[in-house]
Amino acid sequence: MTRPHPRAALALLGLLWLAVLAGAPLLGSHTALVRELLAGDPTARAIFWQLRLPRVLLALLAGGGLAVSGLSFQTLFRNPLAEPYTLGVASGAALGAVLALRLTEGQLLGFPLLTLLAFAGALAATGLVVGLGTRRRQGDETGTLLLAGIAVSLSCSALILFLQYLSDSTQTFRMVRWMMGGLSVAGYREVLWLLPWVVGGSASLLLLRWDLNLLLTGEELAASRGVDLGRLRLRILLLTSVMIAALVAMAGPIGFVGLMVPHILRRFVGHDHLALTPACLLGGGAFLALCDAGARVVMAPAELPVGVVTALLGGPFFLWLLLLRKPR
Amino acid sequence: MSGSPLLAARGLTWRSGARTLLGPLDLRIEAGECLMVVGPNGAGKTTLLRLLTGLLAPSAGEIRLRGRPFADLPRRERARHLAYVPQVRPSAVPLTVFEVVLLGRYPHLGPLQLAPRAEDFRAVEEALSVVGIGDLRDRPVDELSGGERQAVYIAAALAQETEMLLLDEPTTHLDARHQREVAALLLKLKAESGRTVVAATHDLNLASLLGDRLLALACGRVLAQGSPAEILRPEVLAELFGTRFAVVRGGERPVTLLELSP
Repeated sequence: MTRPHPRAALALLGLLWLAVLAGAPLLGSHTALVRELLAGDPTARAIFWQLRLPRVLLALLAGGGLAVSGLSFQTLFRNPLAEPYTLGVASGAALGAVLALRLTEGQLLGFPLLTLLAFAGALAATGLVVGLGTRRRQGDETGTLLLAGIAVSLSCSALILFLQYLSDSTQTFRMVRWMMGGLSVAGYREVLWLLPWVVGGSASLLLLRWDLNLLLTGEELAASRGVDLGRLRLRILLLTSVMIAALVAMAGPIGFVGLMVPHILRRFVGHDHLALTPACLLGGGAFLALCDAGARVVMAPAELPVGVVTALLGGPFFLWLLLLRKPR
Repeated sequence: MSGSPLLAARGLTWRSGARTLLGPLDLRIEAGECLMVVGPNGAGKTTLLRLLTGLLAPSAGEIRLRGRPFADLPRRERARHLAYVPQVRPSAVPLTVFEVVLLGRYPHLGPLQLAPRAEDFRAVEEALSVVGIGDLRDRPVDELSGGERQAVYIAAALAQETEMLLLDEPTTHLDARHQREVAALLLKLKAESGRTVVAATHDLNLASLLGDRLLALACGRVLAQGSPAEILRPEVLAELFGTRFAVVRGGERPVTLLELSP
């Protein structure tokens, strides 16, 4: 296998990101957009600026946030299968969303109640998992965290099923649809809401570059060099979870991006978090924006939920990863 | 040997539940000396090392670094005085040799510092060349042999630029040739770098070769301490390990042989 080239890979990812930003808004069920745009058609301009561009921007942010979160969870738990939803963020958010759909529709502070309840649910689930998982100060803390995450996820799923059972078919349909994940709600307000969480979270994780790299060499060694493991763990969990909560509240639980993108990028960028964190931000964003463009095109004029597209790619990807793995 | 030692422990004790696993023991480590901790499995060698590194907080007693109580030292500052090479490490470390050695600079980096400084690179280069693994710098650590890997972690500890190096079982799990390479490296370090070295080991010949002083631990207590010639005697070893040894002279230092025949 060829050696990773972090600089070259980052430069290419930057170019890819820009290309997607410029190109993806042109793709969709309305195909003649380029020609109409050049002709100055007002409908085409509105579609481009008011519908497509914010949606692509949201995809770029959400995908980047998912990939960066997946990366830091994989490092923290030293587990290749860890992903942004490992600690039950998604099921907490889903529970909040389902609750909102069951109860009422409305707005608060300019945001749909659904978004706010999903955000609150995601934070509550993570808080519960972290609280439970770090209560015992001794022993295998990461293992306890994972188990607490599974327990909270299962409990949330049970409550969701219960709420679905109580709902009528229209509500149930909307609940199921929400859980597939999608970016169709996007306007600039959503983009602006997500921007600080994703950029701030990623930048803070980038500043933990050395700590995250040290975790790769083992907790014992990290502690001997002066890392406060308990505090570091908490910091990573909080940064990642808040970022994911904001994102899931907006776009629903979009799967596999946080799992796939870091694995793919490690082959080209290497394992140093200094390069890998921005690479995931760029690569994850470009990947999700492309998936979303695909979701708009394959069944046009109907739209697939983007979560379905990423999941359809995710399964085969993992088989491929399994088969390619170097025997040790 | 007067004045304040580099590291002094008094009444050092480690308990797990009601069981006392180590101590109480007193220990002085002078600057520049090489102390080898020997003893059977479960004697408390690793626990002692982890206490001396600050990875464990003692149940009772205290450790002082140049007269300053350990508890008063922030973690990072402690890590600028003591470097630890643990025995157990994750098997798959995907980082390159250079990246792992650079991580030895962690305690010297500021909290918001993203890029290493020139002095960090200098320290890494020096460590790589002292250990002699400059040509491996771009290789991922998990592609290396066990001996090379041990050398990488020793280099990282050197890049940490501490007065004192603590090594847990530096030659265990290595075959004879790699044992010899690591031993030669440690001898070279002792001769050239002037660092204080504390190592726990099963390898009595390594202890004999390197040690200025040997500390024999059994069941968490100090059974004996002294020069290699004083400790590596059949009667002391028989008491320490509960089995018979033969000791021959190998140059200036004693060489031990385990007698396996009944």
